[in-house]
Amino acid sequence: MTTFREGPRMIALPQRPRFTRRTLGTMTIGSMLALSACESSLLEVHDPDIILTATSAAAAISIKNGVLGYFSGATAGGESTFFFGGLLTDEWRSGDTFEQRNSADARLVAPTNSFLGGQLRALMRVRVQGRAAINALRQFSPTPVSNIGLMFALTAWAENQIGESYCNGIPFSDVNDGVIVYGAPVGVDSAFKRAINSADSALLNNGGTDAPRIANLAAVVKGRALLNRAQYAAAATAVTAVPTSFIYQDTHSDNASNNQIWALNTSAKRYVVADNEGGNGLPFKSANDPRLPTAGTGNAFDANTPFVNTTLWAKNDPVTIVSGIEARLIEAEAALKADNFPLFVSKLNDARATKASLTPLTDPGTPTTRADLLFRERAFWMFGTGHRLGDLRRLIRQYGRAPETVFPTGPWFKGGSYGGDVNLPASFEELNNPNVPQDQIKVSCIDRNA
Amino acid sequence: MTIAGLRNFARRPLLSLGLLLGLAGTAAAQGTLAGKVTDQANGAALVGARVVVVGSSAMTTTNAEGRYRLVGVPAGTHQVRASQIGYASVAKRVTLADQSSATADFGLVLTPYSLDEVVVTATGDQAKREIGNAVSTIEVADLVNTTPVANMNDLLVAKAPGVQVLPGNMTGAGARVRIRGNSSLTLSNNPIYVVDGIRVVSDVNSSSIGIGGTSPSRVDDLNPEDIESIDIVRGPSASTLYGTDAANGVIVIKTKKGKAGRPVWNAFMEGGFIKDLNTYPFSYRGWTTGSAASNTTQCFLSGLVARTCSQDSLTKFRIFTDPQASPNATGYRQQYGLQVSGGTDAIRYYVAGDWEDEVGQVKMPEVFQQRILATRNIGSVPYTQLRPNALRKTNIRANLSVNLGEKADVQVNSGFVTSTQRLPQTDNNITGLLGNALGGPGFKGNIVGGVANLGYRQFTPNETFANLTTQDINRTISSGTFNYRPTHWLAVRAVGGLDFVSREDSELCRRDECVNFSTIKLGFRGNNRTTFFNYTGDLNATASYRLGADVGAKTIVGGQYVKEKFARNGAFGEDLTPGGTTVNSGAILDADESTIVTATLGYFAEQSISYKDRLYLTAAVRSDKNSAFGKQFARVYYPKASVSYVLSDEAFFPKSDVLSSFRLRGAYGASGRQPGPNDAIPFLLSGVSNVDGTDAPGLFIGALGNATLKPERTAEVELGFDATLFQSKVNLEFTYYKKTSRDALLSRTVPPDAGTAATQLVNAGRTQNEGIEASVNARILDSKNFGWEITASASYNKGKILTLGDLPPNRGTTVSDIPGYPINAWFLRPYTYQDKNGDGLIGYWKPTVTGGISTPDPRNEIFVGDTSVYVGPSLPPGEFTAYNTFDLFGRKIRIQALVDAKVGGYQLFGTERIRCQNRLNCRGDLDPNAPLAEQAAAVALRQVPGFTQYGYVHNTNFVRLRELSVTYTFPDRFARAFAANRLSLTASGRNLAVLSKYPGMDPEGGYFGTNVGVVSDFQSVPPPSYFTFRLNVAF
Repeated sequence: MTTFREGPRMIALPQRPRFTRRTLGTMTIGSMLALSACESSLLEVHDPDIILTATSAAAAISIKNGVLGYFSGATAGGESTFFFGGLLTDEWRSGDTFEQRNSADARLVAPTNSFLGGQLRALMRVRVQGRAAINALRQFSPTPVSNIGLMFALTAWAENQIGESYCNGIPFSDVNDGVIVYGAPVGVDSAFKRAINSADSALLNNGGTDAPRIANLAAVVKGRALLNRAQYAAAATAVTAVPTSFIYQDTHSDNASNNQIWALNTSAKRYVVADNEGGNGLPFKSANDPRLPTAGTGNAFDANTPFVNTTLWAKNDPVTIVSGIEARLIEAEAALKADNFPLFVSKLNDARATKASLTPLTDPGTPTTRADLLFRERAFWMFGTGHRLGDLRRLIRQYGRAPETVFPTGPWFKGGSYGGDVNLPASFEELNNPNVPQDQIKVSCIDRNA
Repeated sequence: MTIAGLRNFARRPLLSLGLLLGLAGTAAAQGTLAGKVTDQANGAALVGARVVVVGSSAMTTTNAEGRYRLVGVPAGTHQVRASQIGYASVAKRVTLADQSSATADFGLVLTPYSLDEVVVTATGDQAKREIGNAVSTIEVADLVNTTPVANMNDLLVAKAPGVQVLPGNMTGAGARVRIRGNSSLTLSNNPIYVVDGIRVVSDVNSSSIGIGGTSPSRVDDLNPEDIESIDIVRGPSASTLYGTDAANGVIVIKTKKGKAGRPVWNAFMEGGFIKDLNTYPFSYRGWTTGSAASNTTQCFLSGLVARTCSQDSLTKFRIFTDPQASPNATGYRQQYGLQVSGGTDAIRYYVAGDWEDEVGQVKMPEVFQQRILATRNIGSVPYTQLRPNALRKTNIRANLSVNLGEKADVQVNSGFVTSTQRLPQTDNNITGLLGNALGGPGFKGNIVGGVANLGYRQFTPNETFANLTTQDINRTISSGTFNYRPTHWLAVRAVGGLDFVSREDSELCRRDECVNFSTIKLGFRGNNRTTFFNYTGDLNATASYRLGADVGAKTIVGGQYVKEKFARNGAFGEDLTPGGTTVNSGAILDADESTIVTATLGYFAEQSISYKDRLYLTAAVRSDKNSAFGKQFARVYYPKASVSYVLSDEAFFPKSDVLSSFRLRGAYGASGRQPGPNDAIPFLLSGVSNVDGTDAPGLFIGALGNATLKPERTAEVELGFDATLFQSKVNLEFTYYKKTSRDALLSRTVPPDAGTAATQLVNAGRTQNEGIEASVNARILDSKNFGWEITASASYNKGKILTLGDLPPNRGTTVSDIPGYPINAWFLRPYTYQDKNGDGLIGYWKPTVTGGISTPDPRNEIFVGDTSVYVGPSLPPGEFTAYNTFDLFGRKIRIQALVDAKVGGYQLFGTERIRCQNRLNCRGDLDPNAPLAEQAAAVALRQVPGFTQYGYVHNTNFVRLRELSVTYTFPDRFARAFAANRLSLTASGRNLAVLSKYPGMDPEGGYFGTNVGVVSDFQSVPPPSYFTFRLNVAF
């Protein structure tokens, strides 16, 4: 009889072992050592969705192309400041149910509006990724230089657009080697200065067959930024060489992105072309201006707002962002500010001459009506392309108009009254910038002045 | 062993396991133990009873005659224990001589509750008395036969304290399961599921094609009919050995296994109907000068206040009570199944199959059917459009258990499910059913685009139901378990398996059949094919030995490898050819590909010591490496320790007729949640840019990455006791827990001005959940003819964010993450109101601004606060359930009723919010007799800057009659007349009544987010009621 002994000491040799201790132990230890050895391979996974490095000439070009994609998202390829600036002003009415769009239309945009962050991010990506593209192009694909110039020019455009659209107080952060270097809130004038500097860099970093186009692009953006700084003569000088026929367009396709002005207006009916909105608005529909053909029957997306769309753009039509027409309008404004009224009218008519159905203008005769004419011309020429908000702000800032005489005002058509916003606030997401005070109401806005 | 030694041991667990196995080739003098286990009351053999030699790995179950046999038992004196579910265990001392046999028979006595019940743990089966945690067990086999269980939602809801289930709201909709609250701010708060030892896919919102919010869950692929039991491991204190990802708890499922004996056949037939018994709100219209059926001109209360209009009349209309316009009809459900199990001592089997068909209550009204017939020139409306919500499923399962001699056995389990389901467009969806049915004007005769819409806002069911969204699943869960007991003291268990899911999501709008919105009318087809592979490999060895006469010990070492792969190909075509139904019939094509792979390799070691079979101490550690951890983070360690003390087994414990047994338990443990597979890596994504009119490849920002990223780590302390009272007729469990998550992963919003990725995951936060759980099971009446058993439970969880590190509070429009408050708590700007002029209307008069100075208007009657205030948690903290079972008339009739209540939660009634804000048809906008509170909510929402939704967030407290069933068991002679051994018929109902002040259709209505799971009661179909009949036949 075998006594059962307690504890490990009782271990004894088996009577009829199927495996010997050595065999079993060796097999097990061997297999486990093998398992340990292949630990790293067991944990190695490959995700084909992502790209970890971009260190070639082709990759540099693709980064540049990516910036063009971001540029599209910041213009007519996404719901950008083109739209929210238009809602805030008299270009678009909200035919939508989304509170984000309705409050923008009612000039009551809160920092918590969840559309704000994406719109600012889209513009900032053009700038920050533009810098990344410039670095990549310089290292891996330095010619044609115009590619680098294009990146500078688009950066300039984005910086100017930020200045025109947002309150005083938007920071400009950067990303170096994957690390964010946070900027501090700055006024819109700083944005315009940045835009001028970037445009100058575009003009300096230019060469190759595309150089003339990039030079024109940079020149008009520089002129626009100078206009925002009330440097009218310098603005006119900047654009003098730009031919009236010049256009720089945001282009579209089914694979990349559709024209969102078509998508959100004509197709989805979330945006409606406004007409005399809020009393001060221009008659974008009823003027029947050939520069802004309109159509539309029935109600918009919200099933309440009468629908009006512009037939300017079909699904994948390009949208002109910068043009020689704008150059002439800049020259006209410089002439107006220089009290050279014949030249003022002449420059306006130079632009109008490009469209057969437009008749020449005459000098309306007074400072107010001249300014009204100038900004009306700008509004119809550049409808929906992110100019109107900057223009209305300039009417306040540079022409001494009261906000309630230029922006829509009075009862808002869906109930309540228009608020007092004259620009877009910083998104509450900016509170994540450590240089921004933790103020939920103001966020990074130093003020909400025009 | 020192800490360093422990760590060293943990680093080399495989080596340790090898040593154990190496020693396993030894054996002492042995004998054979045999006997029979019977019901002491009547001598009937108990099949499947568990017989163990305490303190060793020797274990077996009884055969069809109730007999057992254990060979290779070391000679000596042993404590041998026999147990069976529903019976009190019995232990005997048995002395066994070398090369001899000993007999030990056991007569077990029926007892409702026993600490010897076996639960499934990470390392194998274990008696409850040995575990320091509360583990809830759901015995499924009986439930599915006698209660209205159609899916896993029904099985889990209100069954275990601390396990909160939000059921799906329509046929095929998945449920949200939360165990002890939400603890992760950004990662999944869903528990993981383990079926027969392997990790399975359990994704909620598992569809690549949305209908607006409601989505299927892969948990519902599991078939309740095939489940034997479910053990719910509630928190990290118990789930440590399941490793990374187990922090939210583990649902451990054991499928049915065969028992030795003649083939036992079970067949069932189920049929029933589905009705929507909910009350829907009216739509209103304030008619005024210029109002017409074809326009939207009306006079709002704001117009009455401002005296800018007057109401000629007020009308109201409710589509859902209009027989002509209502999209609600009667749904139906049917299911048929057949199971057979049996076998010999050597081979046992369980084979089953069933077929299920359910059609939801939504149906295209006749008038809209006629429109289709007229416009499409066809003879009948396609059934998929007539009934857009349906699920059809076929399950097959084969489980095999084989004894490979005396020392080894193997189990092979395999289940296959194929299903197809379709869901209607609804929820947050412009073309959806409820958005249009509840968004229409307050009259039936509205004209939209020259067509009578019968009260629908914009799109009618003939258009919305033409958008067909389907999901086809083919899934197999296969696993094998190999148990090897080379000696009496060592057991080795290897588990391996694969869960493979093939999911095909499709959507189809044929040209000219769907709504006229954007380009939808041109037709589109989407077809996304996804495969999921979950591989599990698990190996552990358990050494059981004694350290003294009264001290037993058990050492477990093991390793586990889990690899999950998600791979998807998607294709989409739009602008379809007339008649075209495939992607390639589209003029515009799009394709995409996505792959996600994660792998976890973990090792664990556990040491248990028992004293006199009544005090159990356990310490363990698990160490994981995961492919998703950051480069600078190599390995995570999760420790655990627990104590279980069956105090009532002590001699000093006073014996009484009142207190039958008493156990104290306590546990500490940690577990984690892994980041997403690419969250740690900075990367770029490819895309397309249009460059001057030509498409070109572009590189875009993917993620900033975070090299220091590590898993969230949740540690939990759990304390509690179990007591049985009155001859074990009452079982009482109480548990207190506190769990804290640190290194909580936060999706840090990158400020837009940085011009890069929108978010970056960082380990920064800490969250806490603290609560109590209590349950009482009582057999109040237990006689030959009558029985009454009640199971009641209560749980309360208080969750809060402790810190967000150096990140600012994450503030949203309605829900926010703010330290000191629950995750995704409701924070809104409040308002006050007063009908100053007594006209029965609440009016807003905006302040006048002069020279930048704002002056309030004295007429103003509503005031909105400047900052958001805390309203309440989005997850109800409290739940109370009561499950009553009555057996009547010689126990031939069984009545079961489940009542449950959830308290303390809040929810945004988003449907009413959009009706008041944008549809402009709610009572608060239009009815001068509307309660002031309704008016104020609408005014604050629409007119006062800030547009607060405060008035639409409501308490969701409710009491619900969740289940009611009556089962009649036919007399044996009647059953025999049909060649059956047992025949029963069950009539049951689900979701029969609800008491709540929540103003929405149902306080549990809505869809939910994937990770945190906030419910959106936003134009969702509310949960319907089920009425089913089921015939069970055993032969």
